[in-house]
Amino acid sequence: MHVLIINGSPRVQKYSNTDKIISALKEGMEQYDPGITTELYSISDRKQWDDAREAFVRNDEILIALPLFVECIPGLLLEFLSTLPPKDGHTRMSFVLQSGFAEASQLRCGEKYLKTLPGRLGCIYKGTLIKGDNFSIRLVPDDMKKKITAPYVQMGKVYAEHKGFDCEEARKFAGPEYFNAPMRLILRSIFATFGRIMFRKTARSWGCDKPLNYRPYPASR
Amino acid sequence: MILIIDTTGNEDMINEIESGLNGRNDYEIIRAKDMKIGHCIGCNYCWLKDPGICSVKDDHETILKKMILSDQIWLVSGTTLGFITPLAKNIIDRIIPLATMNLKFKGKQMRHELRYKSYQFGLIYDGEADKAFMEHWSDRVAINFGSRTKGAFKREEIKEAVSCMC
Repeated sequence: MHVLIINGSPRVQKYSNTDKIISALKEGMEQYDPGITTELYSISDRKQWDDAREAFVRNDEILIALPLFVECIPGLLLEFLSTLPPKDGHTRMSFVLQSGFAEASQLRCGEKYLKTLPGRLGCIYKGTLIKGDNFSIRLVPDDMKKKITAPYVQMGKVYAEHKGFDCEEARKFAGPEYFNAPMRLILRSIFATFGRIMFRKTARSWGCDKPLNYRPYPASR
Repeated sequence: MILIIDTTGNEDMINEIESGLNGRNDYEIIRAKDMKIGHCIGCNYCWLKDPGICSVKDDHETILKKMILSDQIWLVSGTTLGFITPLAKNIIDRIIPLATMNLKFKGKQMRHELRYKSYQFGLIYDGEADKAFMEHWSDRVAINFGSRTKGAFKREEIKEAVSCMC
């Protein structure tokens, strides 16, 4: 099997969380079947668009991995997709939708859209792998990145076995739709204390000298 | 103040909206079709490096400043692959400077704390799309603005949309 993987993140590949997730998925695919080959294009780099478009026409196994941008697909990915010529209904298309917000319910609106997308491109929908809580990937050292993305290795095997994510194992990967009330209570107190301190610390290391709730523009006329 | 962001450049549609708002002076229309507006590059600088400021320097800053001063934001868009257009989505993708990095729970879901205040949100679209999905998406966008949606309206429903601009 040969899989065309498109990284739909607008963030440059080096800092792309989606890119690290794709690496873990590829590892899993190769573990399942060493004969599997892949080719990868990143839409953050417009210079790759022509090749990615040509690969879309040529391939029948397509996996698009993307971050959730304001409840749906990023504008840049939508622009790329709108330039694709429709196919003839033999191509399988699956998605990996990831987000910073941790709960599966946050990704359902985006998933709803992705279900309709392959049909519009003349492809067959083969499921969307959903998971949140990926914001920190870019912020942590390489060995921690590997730890965070490790669960995706198993999902790479699942993808290779099912030629998509249209299966129970992939659906379960999404985790809880909502956190239960006790968990929300715990998280709320973490957000108000440790969370703020960690974000502030990260901001300082990025050269930020303002409070994170700073208002650069006038809030009234 | 009602902010209407038109991304279609369809003056007939804008006229229809304006004639519905006849005599009112509490709205402003932004014609974004020919503005220079890039996409969100996901750098997170607006949260962690230069809070509230987008690192992509183009005409979007004008829109962001006007959003902050408004109470209600309406997006007018064509459709692409059953969704709003890439330009319209780029404008919405770049609202994240209106939120901060800090997290909270709003109801049962995690959310980012808002930098300024909340804004109501509505969508008017011209083209093929599933209305139930567009309404769902509008509602989700409104949550990002700290509010509920005013709805998603097809071009033929502009009158109804305008009646919600209050």
